[in-house]
This record gives sequence, structure tokens and C-alpha cells, in this order.
Amino acid sequence: MNFWRRKKREEELDAEVQSHLQMAARERMDRGDRSNDAERAARREFGNVGLVKEFTRDVWVWRWLRDVADDARYGLRMLAKNPGFAIVAILSLALGIGATTAMFSVIYGVMVNPYPYANSDRMVHLVAYDAHGNRRFFINLTGPQLQQLRQAASVESSAAMDEWQLTTTEGDLPENVDVVYLTANSFVHFGVPALLGRGLLPSDAPEGQDPENVAVLGYEFWQRHYGGDPDIIGKNIQLVHKSYLIVGVVRPRFTWGDGEVYLPLKLTADLVRTYFPMIRLKPGVTRAAVNAEFQSLVEQFAKETPTHFPEHFRMAVEGLNDHFVTDIGGTLSLLLGAVALLLLIGCGNVSILLLARGTARQHELAVRSAIGAEGSRLVRQLLTESLMLSFAGALLGIALANSLVKLIVNWLPRSSFPHEATISINLAVLFFSVGLALLTGIVFGISPALQSARPDLAQVMQANTRKTTAGVHSRRTHTILIAGQIALTLLLLAGAGVAMRGFVRMMNVNLGYDPHNVMAVGIPVHDNTYTTWEARRAYFHQLLQKVGAMPEVVSAGISTNATPPNNGWEQRFEISGKPMAEQQMGRFNVVSAEYFTVLHIPLLQGRIWDESEAMHGSKLALINQTLARQYFPNGDALGSELRVPALKAEPPFNLAVAGSDSWFQIIGIVGDARDDGLRNPIKPSIFVPFTIMMPQYTQILVRTTASPLRILRAVREQIHSVDPDQQAARNVRDLDGWITTQPEWEQGHLVASLFAGFAILALALAATGLYSVISFAVSQRTGEFGIRMALGARPNDVLLMVFRSAAMSVTGGVLAGVVLTITLNRVLARWIQGSSLDAMILAGVILLLVATSALSCFIPARRASSLDPTVALRYE
Amino acid sequence: MTEKKARYQNRIELLQGTLDLLILQTLQWGAQHGYGISVAIRNRSGELLQVDTGSLYPALHRLERQKWIKAEWRMSENKQRAKFYQLTATGKKQLSKERSKWAQLSDAIAGVLQPED
Repeated sequence: MNFWRRKKREEELDAEVQSHLQMAARERMDRGDRSNDAERAARREFGNVGLVKEFTRDVWVWRWLRDVADDARYGLRMLAKNPGFAIVAILSLALGIGATTAMFSVIYGVMVNPYPYANSDRMVHLVAYDAHGNRRFFINLTGPQLQQLRQAASVESSAAMDEWQLTTTEGDLPENVDVVYLTANSFVHFGVPALLGRGLLPSDAPEGQDPENVAVLGYEFWQRHYGGDPDIIGKNIQLVHKSYLIVGVVRPRFTWGDGEVYLPLKLTADLVRTYFPMIRLKPGVTRAAVNAEFQSLVEQFAKETPTHFPEHFRMAVEGLNDHFVTDIGGTLSLLLGAVALLLLIGCGNVSILLLARGTARQHELAVRSAIGAEGSRLVRQLLTESLMLSFAGALLGIALANSLVKLIVNWLPRSSFPHEATISINLAVLFFSVGLALLTGIVFGISPALQSARPDLAQVMQANTRKTTAGVHSRRTHTILIAGQIALTLLLLAGAGVAMRGFVRMMNVNLGYDPHNVMAVGIPVHDNTYTTWEARRAYFHQLLQKVGAMPEVVSAGISTNATPPNNGWEQRFEISGKPMAEQQMGRFNVVSAEYFTVLHIPLLQGRIWDESEAMHGSKLALINQTLARQYFPNGDALGSELRVPALKAEPPFNLAVAGSDSWFQIIGIVGDARDDGLRNPIKPSIFVPFTIMMPQYTQILVRTTASPLRILRAVREQIHSVDPDQQAARNVRDLDGWITTQPEWEQGHLVASLFAGFAILALALAATGLYSVISFAVSQRTGEFGIRMALGARPNDVLLMVFRSAAMSVTGGVLAGVVLTITLNRVLARWIQGSSLDAMILAGVILLLVATSALSCFIPARRASSLDPTVALRYE
Repeated sequence: MTEKKARYQNRIELLQGTLDLLILQTLQWGAQHGYGISVAIRNRSGELLQVDTGSLYPALHRLERQKWIKAEWRMSENKQRAKFYQLTATGKKQLSKERSKWAQLSDAIAGVLQPED
């Protein structure tokens, strides 16, 4: 029903009623009544004009629809009269709903089906666990082993992959391309059709032949390198001087292996080359059954290729997302809990405000009830107002959530969630937040609505509008709400305090090395190059010389696998003459002598090997303090011997000096440096010359006077001058950057920042809530204060009275909050490092809360105490 | 609210359908405005049926929406503007349908009330 028609109809109805009354009056006057009496009698006979009109309007359109529109209009007018109340209520809800929606989006995007692959819940990998139950690594299998695995009963389909870094040589310097090799059936296995062109087909890698030179591009690479050229199919891409025909581009969410280019893989039969298996299980198979079936198979594989497996291991299949769920799932749930608290506090605010308004409007509601409004109509009116508030809050909340999601995704540790996940506000989340808004609107609108809709008419009509001090019932509700808000805020603040302190501690941890102004340049060596030990040794050495000779370089060293703070191959080692403990594990690092100079790691005892010893591949080793302390408590480390039995060559990939698995002589002890992350205790570490073991990859650590990344290009040119095809790995980072990308750093940062943010918001909301309640109470008690001051109370007395009224709720809240914090300490401690039982944190938090509460009370209290008694007494 | 509704009840309760019948019948004798219709019904029923405005006007507007009557603003006898209603063609048909339904109903009731023979 549009506006103009409605107006016209109203006018017409009014005219019709008027004409009826006139005619009735006229008839009476014709019969002899006086005009006044005639009109009155006509009106009386007609009845209640308003109600008749109302009944007639019912006929025009559904009554409830019209009523809702009326309620909405009236509600808007009432809210516009009190903008402060509306703004606070909407903001409170928006913050709570926005934060909850954002967290829910993140959790939904990461946990609930983040993968675009077909039946991704049945896709698994094989994982090896050592005898202690620690997850060791993904199991890679040789070609023949993969064929055997494919025949297993539980397997529906399987494919294999390998990855390497190639180069495009289209610029002046070779550029790194992360290539993922997939067996030809992989695209069928994944079940994700290509965006452009096609995926790899079985015809691309026929049996017994070399694979075709075709390539499928990753989406991001296609955008970045080719500008999203839509005619890319049929063009060629040069990878290490080989030309590949581009046959397709995958969809944006297909990021398997984070590949930039996908090439077809041919499985070879040799026992040295391993590939990464990707398996989809048949429907209905349990994990236990699969593990049992695979265990015997894998044990057989371990006998064939013992170097690929840890000793005494157990195998299990792991779903695609299992790792991430354990990794980040707890943290996200904790943050969701924090956000839920924020929402509760926000809703508490809205409830307080609505309750207060309900009390203030009792007079208005009583009048409306007296002239004929049904109780249900009043309830509906109030409910409509609070629903409008909720929806406004929800809309604003969604806008907030959008920005917040972007922020959270930036702070999420990159390695802790699948890159296929699209984390954004989606339909499910939208329904969730709208539902939340409805729920809060109903729950927190209905209680004051019910309370206000049955006013005791006589009492309210007689009392003055403002002088009614709020009844005991509503005062108690206010007290409980405020106390609840303060308790929850205290919990959040305590959590934030613990998280922040833990993070600051981690930031200031003693690293044992100096990461400033050092960068690690990765050197991926191409297949079938430098295939002899001598050639590769010379190559690495030459690279190091060239880079080290650059004028801006203070020092340079080789760190094949030793870039801290999480470095080295975890290997079992033996010490000659000492009985070997069951699992004597340490970190095995392959470095050049300059490594320790570049990183400022001190030499504590003995000496470091010199260049000629390194070039000969002499079996000399350095150990760190931890290893010395643990295994040589008598200080007899120097001169002892150790060996790593698993250190065998695997040409042409891992080239090692002859007898690499035999005894090394310990010639020195170096200072401890973090090697197992920022939090874990330092593991025993062994350092040997880089010539002992050379895989197809190494890194050069470069120390400069300032900002090492500025000379990266120059470094790449130097590398180019040694081997024109050699690229540097893509993401060269300085060591400060290595630290900030450690998962525990990112996680600590995420939790600390978010918790702090939520806690501050909660504090603001609680303060606003307290302010509203006290303000309201003061305005209700204005008359009372006036009387008191007229009878001799001083302004300070009034101030104290106001504070006293708030004291109970604040103290109650603080006590409840402390109890809550202590009880939930265990839950907090699981996911935030550090205990919330720390007295200093609790004391600090309590102080902050009390100070904020005092400030919130102070402003209305000042207002009360500065009242002019004569004004207050006459205040209506 | 139920207590207030009672004030607007007639001395004899009129079902909605019956009121429609009376209105349509009244308009059979010529176009009439709301006041006139209520007067006519009162007179012709011998003061027994006093249709209250809270039922009359909703009924009129409903019948107008159902296109059985149509409305027009005209000058009344006393030179006052009033909204006159009159039967439409469909209204006439509806009227005869209602009349026969009423006849059937009253026969049926009469049959039940007949003493056993």
C-alpha cells in the first residue's frame, strides 16, 4: 500500500465518518433537539470514532503488517528523540555482533570444508610417528611402492606429486618458479575442473615414455606473471631452457602444494627417488581399518628403503585438515570464546538501556493502555523497537566484521591454515549474524517489554512521571547486569594481560645469535647439474666466494639447513664409548665455517675447521653447549667422536663424502642458539662442514651493514655470474623476518593482539553500561537528592551516595570476575602461555577496572552533587 | 479488551454474512450512504436491528473491496457531501445467492422446530 493512496483513503474515511455524524445530528435537530445536544447524542450513538476507524482499516490490509509499519515509524521517532541511547545501544550490539561474526567467519573458512577438492573429507596422507608418539613427517614412497599402495583395498583413487623450484629465464635474471609435479591422473583425483583450458590428462604421461612438455598454470602465477592474459592457452613457457606448452589454468582456490606451475610426473622405478602420495579412501572405511591395512604394507616398504623411515615407527593416515585443526583449532576456539564474552557484555549493555527506558516510559505506556491498547500490542511495539536496534546493530556489525576479518587473516600464521581456504563473510555467516541479531533483540527486548506492558495503571498514573524511583526489582536486575559485565570484562582483561606478557617475553627471548641485518638466500640446484661431489662442492664454494667478496657484504656463510630459529635435520646420533640411550636425537646442521661469524655465535672451546679441511670433507664436528652439557657432563667433549648412522648419500640428489655415516671428531663447542623454535628448549646440535652432505639445495647467509634485502638484486647478479641459470629462491627473508614468521610468534601475536583489542572494547562497553545505569539512577533520584540537600546534605554527601550505590555492583563484579578467572585458569593456560594466577596481572587488572568504574560513576555523580536543590525539587 | 467489545454488541447478534445480506438488500432499493443504510435497517426491522457503526463500516468497505458494491461521493438531500454506495452487477447476483441461502437456512431451522407430527 503506497503512501499517497493510504493518505487519501484516510482522509476519505474521516470525511465519511464526519458526514455520518453530521447527518445524524441534523436528523435530531429536525426532530427538535438543540444543536449541542444533537451533536453530542449523535456522537454517543456513533460510538468510539477511533475504534470504528480502526476496525475499518483492518479491512484494507492485514492488520499486523500495518501495525508493524506503524510500530516501526513510532519506534524511529522515539529513538530519534533519544539519540544517545540509540547510539550506545547500536554500537554495543555492533561491536559484539561484528566481532563474533568475524571470528565465526574465520573458523568457518578454516575448519569447515576449506577445500575445493571432491570428497576432500576422504583424502588422506600417510604420516609417520616415532616410538614416543611424536609426529615425525609425511611418508614419501618410491614408484613401485606407490603402485603397491594403489592396489590396497581401502584406496579409491590415488595420485602422487613431487615439487621443485625451476626457473623462468625470460627476464634478465632467472626467476624462481615453484613447480609441482603431478601424476597424470591427478586432476581426475582432485575433481576440480580447470578455469581455462584443461588440466593434466593421462595422455600427457603415457606409460613407459617421458612425459609431454605441457604445463598447467596456477591462478596466482597466471595473474602475476602473465597479467591474467585470457589467451594464454597455446603459448609456451620456458622453464630451465625447456619449452612447455601451456594447456590450462586452474581455479583460484586450487592451490595444491602452492604450485605456480603444474607439470606431469612420471613415476620411475628407482629406489632412491621418492614421491608424495595423495590418497582418497573408499567411502565408509574407518581410519582404524585403513591404518591396520596400511601398517603392514608400510613396514614392508621400510625394509626395502630403511633410510626413508625412522626406526621403530608407527604409521597413521591423516586427513587434509587434521593437522590444521589441532594446530590452530584450539586458538580459534579460545578467541571465539573471548568474542562471545564481548557479545554478552554488549547485549548486557543493551539490556540495561532497554530496562532503563522501560521504566522511564511507564507513564506513556500506562496512558496508552488506558485508552485501549492491548497488552500484546504494547509488547509488540517495544519488541519492534528493540528489533530495529538489533538489526541496525547487526548491519553495522557486519561492516565491522568485514574489516576485522581482513585483519585477523593477516595475522593468522601462514602455516597454520590451508591456503585453499577462502575466509570471508559468506551466506552461512550472514544468516548466523542476522539470527544472532534476532535472538538478542528478542531476548533483551522481551523482558522489559513484558515488564512494562502490565503497568499498575492506578499507581503509575497518580505518581509523577520522573519522581518514581525505580522499583526494587529493576534495581536488582541492574546490579546483576553490571556485576556480570564487570566480571566478564575482568576475565577478558586477565586473559589479555597473560597473552601480552607471554608474547612480550617471547619477543625478548635470548636467541643466542644476532638476526639483525642478515638474510638467507636460498639456492635451489637444478636437476642433473653438479652431479658429482667435487663439482657441487666447487659450485657452492664459488657462490660463497663471489657473494662474500661483495663490498656491501660484511660476512657471508653457507647454511644448507641451519638457518635459525628452527633448524637442522632431526637425526639419531651415537657417541663412541658411551652406551646409546634409546632415542638419542639431535639437530644435524651442515654449514661453512663462516656461519658462526655471520650469526655472531661464540666459540666457547676448541676451534672451528679451516677452509682446506672443509674442502677435503674432513669429518670434523662442532657441538653446542646443550649437547656438551647433556652428554659430556665431565667436560670431555673435545676429542670424543660421534656419528650419525642415517647420513648416507643418495646420488644424484644428496651428495655426501665417502664414509659420511662414520665417526666425526668433535673439535669445538659453540654457544647455544635457538634451534627448535622460540619457546621450546634448545636441542642438542651438531655442526659439520657443508661438504660432508650436499643436497640439491643450500642457503647463503649474508650479513650487511643495514637492510640486507636492498642488495638482494646485486647478490642475484653475483650468483648469475657463477651460473647463468641459477635463481635465488622466491621468498628471501631477513632473519628478523624468519622470526616473525615462526608459527609460535604469529600465534602469540594473533592471540595477544586480539585479546587485548577485545578486552579494551569490553572495558569501554562495561564502562558505558555502568555510566548509563548510574546516570539513569541519578535522574530518577533527582527529587530525592533535592530533598536531601534542602535538608542539609552537602554536595560531597550526594557524591558519596551515588558512589555507594554503585559500589555493590562493582565489588560484586570484581569478586565474581576473580573467581571466574581462577576457575578458568586451566582452560586459558592451554592456549595462552603463562598462568593467569599471577598476582601482579590480577592486581593490575582489578586496579584498571576499579579506576574505570570510578570514572564512569564520577561524571553523573558530579552532576548530581552540583544540583541546585530548588531546581531539583521542582524537577518533573 | 473483551469487556470493551461487549459494549458494541447489538441487542440481537448479527453474523457477518447476515449483515452483508441486509446491506445488499437495502441497496437494492437504491443508492444510499452509511448513515442512511443503518437508519433503513433499523426502521424496516421495527427498531429491532440496530447495526453499530463498528460493524457497519468495516462491512461496507469489505463489500466494496469484493466489488459487490461501488462508492461515489455525492450531495445528499440536505446538501451535504456523503459517500453513496450502490449495487454492482455482481452484487446483484450475490444478493440473490444470499437470499436463497437464507431461505434454505430458515426452512431448515423451521423444519427442526416443527412439532412432531
